[in-house]
Amino acid sequence: MALIRLVNVTKKFGEITAVDHIDLAVEDGEYLCILGQTGAGKTTLLRTIAGLLKPDEGEIYIEGKLVNGVPPEQRNAVYMFQQFALFPHMNVWQNVSFGPVIKDRSSEEVKEVSSEILEMVRLADRKDAFPHELSGGMQQRVALARGIASGARILLLDEPLGALDARLRVDIRRQLRKLVKDQKLTAIHVTHDQEEALMIADRIAVLRKGTIEQMGEPHEIYSRPRSIFVAGFVGGANFIEGNVVKIDGSSSSIEIRGGYEIRVSDTSKRVGEKVVVAVRPEDISVGLEEVSGSNNFHGKIESATFIGGSIEYKIRLENEETVSSRILLSGNLKTYEATEGIVVSFSPEKCFVFPYPKAGLLQEIEAI
Amino acid sequence: MGKGQKHRDLGGLMPLRLKGSAGLSKTVVWATLGALLVFVLLPTFYLISYVFVRWNEVRVEVFENPIIGDENWRQILKVLFFSFRLSLSTVAFDLVFGIPLAYVLARKRFYGKSLLEDVVTLPLVIPTSGFGFATLITWTTVAGLGGALGLNSGLIPLNALIPVVDVTFILFTVHVALTFPYIVRTLETKFQSIDITFETASRTLGASALTTFRNILFPLSLPGVFSASVLAFARSLGETGATLIVSGVSSTASIAIVRWTSEFKLATASFMGSLLVVTAWVIILPVELYAGRGARSFRIPYQLPTSLSNRLIKIERLVSRRLAYLKDILPLIVVMITVIVPIVVVLNSVILYWSTDPYTGKVQGGVLYQLFGPSNYFSSVVRASSTSIIVALASTYIATCIAIPLAFIIERRWYGDFIRSILKVPLIMPTSSLGLSVLLLWGSSGFNLVSSGIWLITLTHVVFSVPVIVESIIAAYEGSEIQMYEDSARTLGATAYNAIETVSLPLIKSGILTGFILSFTHSLGETGATFIVMGRDITIPALVVNMVEALAIPAALFTSTYLIILSLILLAVIRIITRS
Repeated sequence: MALIRLVNVTKKFGEITAVDHIDLAVEDGEYLCILGQTGAGKTTLLRTIAGLLKPDEGEIYIEGKLVNGVPPEQRNAVYMFQQFALFPHMNVWQNVSFGPVIKDRSSEEVKEVSSEILEMVRLADRKDAFPHELSGGMQQRVALARGIASGARILLLDEPLGALDARLRVDIRRQLRKLVKDQKLTAIHVTHDQEEALMIADRIAVLRKGTIEQMGEPHEIYSRPRSIFVAGFVGGANFIEGNVVKIDGSSSSIEIRGGYEIRVSDTSKRVGEKVVVAVRPEDISVGLEEVSGSNNFHGKIESATFIGGSIEYKIRLENEETVSSRILLSGNLKTYEATEGIVVSFSPEKCFVFPYPKAGLLQEIEAI
Repeated sequence: MGKGQKHRDLGGLMPLRLKGSAGLSKTVVWATLGALLVFVLLPTFYLISYVFVRWNEVRVEVFENPIIGDENWRQILKVLFFSFRLSLSTVAFDLVFGIPLAYVLARKRFYGKSLLEDVVTLPLVIPTSGFGFATLITWTTVAGLGGALGLNSGLIPLNALIPVVDVTFILFTVHVALTFPYIVRTLETKFQSIDITFETASRTLGASALTTFRNILFPLSLPGVFSASVLAFARSLGETGATLIVSGVSSTASIAIVRWTSEFKLATASFMGSLLVVTAWVIILPVELYAGRGARSFRIPYQLPTSLSNRLIKIERLVSRRLAYLKDILPLIVVMITVIVPIVVVLNSVILYWSTDPYTGKVQGGVLYQLFGPSNYFSSVVRASSTSIIVALASTYIATCIAIPLAFIIERRWYGDFIRSILKVPLIMPTSSLGLSVLLLWGSSGFNLVSSGIWLITLTHVVFSVPVIVESIIAAYEGSEIQMYEDSARTLGATAYNAIETVSLPLIKSGILTGFILSFTHSLGETGATFIVMGRDITIPALVVNMVEALAIPAALFTSTYLIILSLILLAVIRIITRS
């Protein structure tokens, strides 16, 4: 049975619908990421689950019980703020033992639970320090320890890594997931960082304009995006407009600008339908020769940018369409300079085909 | 937690601070609002309703007096007109010198800045009658600047008029000193709240400092300029304590109320008081609502003709380059002359006059003789001190009990902003009107529960103490992410009440303490309202007024010094609390 279940939950702020009729189920012990851009309604959704906001419509169940009218302190779901919200007037020990103390545990129990958890997050020797004396990473661990010590089984993490610097963020991702799994907690983690979500989550819910655009395991979201928005937001893609001109057996042909054709293995669209083809930059290869069985286009390198272990080319095709390609650098790989004439190739299986959006392509990719 | 982390409310799109959230039980809310109504708001309403209910009495006394006809009405118009001239000229002067000072304080870092801020704020803390007296002897007596310059008299006669505006120099000086802090501190805060990158951008685009100020900072802070001016205007209009001492033959509206009340012309006094209150409202509420509505700036509605604008920019460039030091120097001179000199003079005079009058050599003119001689002013000072301290403690305590829950209500309820604006009323209300309203409400012509004396003074002081403490608590509340900490505590298992007790109250402790001391200081120095309601229980500032009227100058010197030092100590305590 799902530990947390949302049925048709809606939350409005005046004219703005922040959360729009959402259904969501989170299993016991699951690590769920809610991924979305700023303003997508992620935080509102999380605060509604915590009981810090009342939904305008719909029901929220925790452990099978309807909790709509239940105050936050009785939901056993601890909310962790991006800024950690460590009480500035209390030291580490007082912060961590806040939950057990406020819940009237016996003093031995308070001591035992708090010291055990402080030990676990390796901060036992800093228990007398005040929050402002700790580094960002330490503050984050104290906040986690405080949440776990309160006895909560559910962690609601609002951009928990957002206040940390880039390198620390990557380290702590692993620790965070390990901690949640070791402690058999259930976590809902809100983030706008797709890489973070792909790496840390059991499942991802992509949120857009208050609704769930797609929900699934990370590789599923990445390899089978269900919409233009998801394809662009998770992983990124080149988008090419065109019309379906021919469908035969295992593939269809799509005519794009300049009369060129792309062959895709998706045959679900109708002939004459206006569509958008999405191809991920890492699925486009660059060479001097055409590759058989792939779509091949001639073009010129416009720019080449090194990004750590890979190189990103911007290529202007003969039909004036611009695509980008990302290629992992390895020892003897030939690289190309700007203005060099090359051939780009991508296989029909790597093309996602979506119906052309009513509001226009740009609107679809950029809108939150 | 820094201010940069306030992006929770995403430009106002998503009010995540949920007003109306649980945490305040109905009982607390109703009890607090009830106390607010009875202790703070009722006197004002009663004053106004008094005029309506007893309109016949007012009409006979003010307009159709059988003996003097409408003489009282003409008096009212005369003092009102005088008060308006005084207040308007004061605010104009304040703005000219206050804006540069606020700019320097907001944008520059220099040695002694916090000292300068304290000096500017001093007139808010020092009891006004003591300060008025200090200014009086500085300008008009031989003990002040006159003597220092080798004259046999004061530098300026008490009734010397400033041309054009036709108000006395000494009144003008006192009012400038007492209103200057409102302009400077309000604008300093406003300037600080405006991102400096706008100015940096303008400067790197080639505009001079002055052009940048005129085109960027000034329009952006115009709402602040308005609210600061209105505050200063209201303060000047209602000032009573210092005015009583330096007014000479001229009379302002607020001291006319004191005089008429003491002559038992209650109808005339309450009519005048209501006029002042309504004037203050009419001026303040629109500005308050406007500034409260999140108005950030005005659009510049005009476009100067290019030729004029170019010429202006050239002039501004020249001024920015050549005369920049004027903006630093001139305000400093104003502060020096209006604040520091009087305080130094009064401290110096107490020493000079300690045993004998330095000019006549008579022992009878010395401080010691007056304190311990036949008139025995020392025992009056002791008695007044105990009255003042009891009043200050009692009123501040009562006010704190109302203010703490009230601050939470203001922050958490949808009608909070409205209550906060209403709370401005006692702050801008002329103090003599305030005293009169409390006297009318609780005294023999109203509930007839409390007669003039120490308890009536306490009730009066509660009225202005509540807003003072509330504002101080709100400042602490909004400076800290209380809602986030409380939410956090709630999800950790704290009930609404527990969260307030263990998290919110400790976090706003410094605000409560600061408010307590501010209110205590305010109560200690209040003169205008106290004068009307005190009966025989004289407070220290009122004693200074009485001494000046009895021409017991050395005794007044001693008492003023005593008051000034007392308030300086309290100011120092506030600094220590707010710094830690």
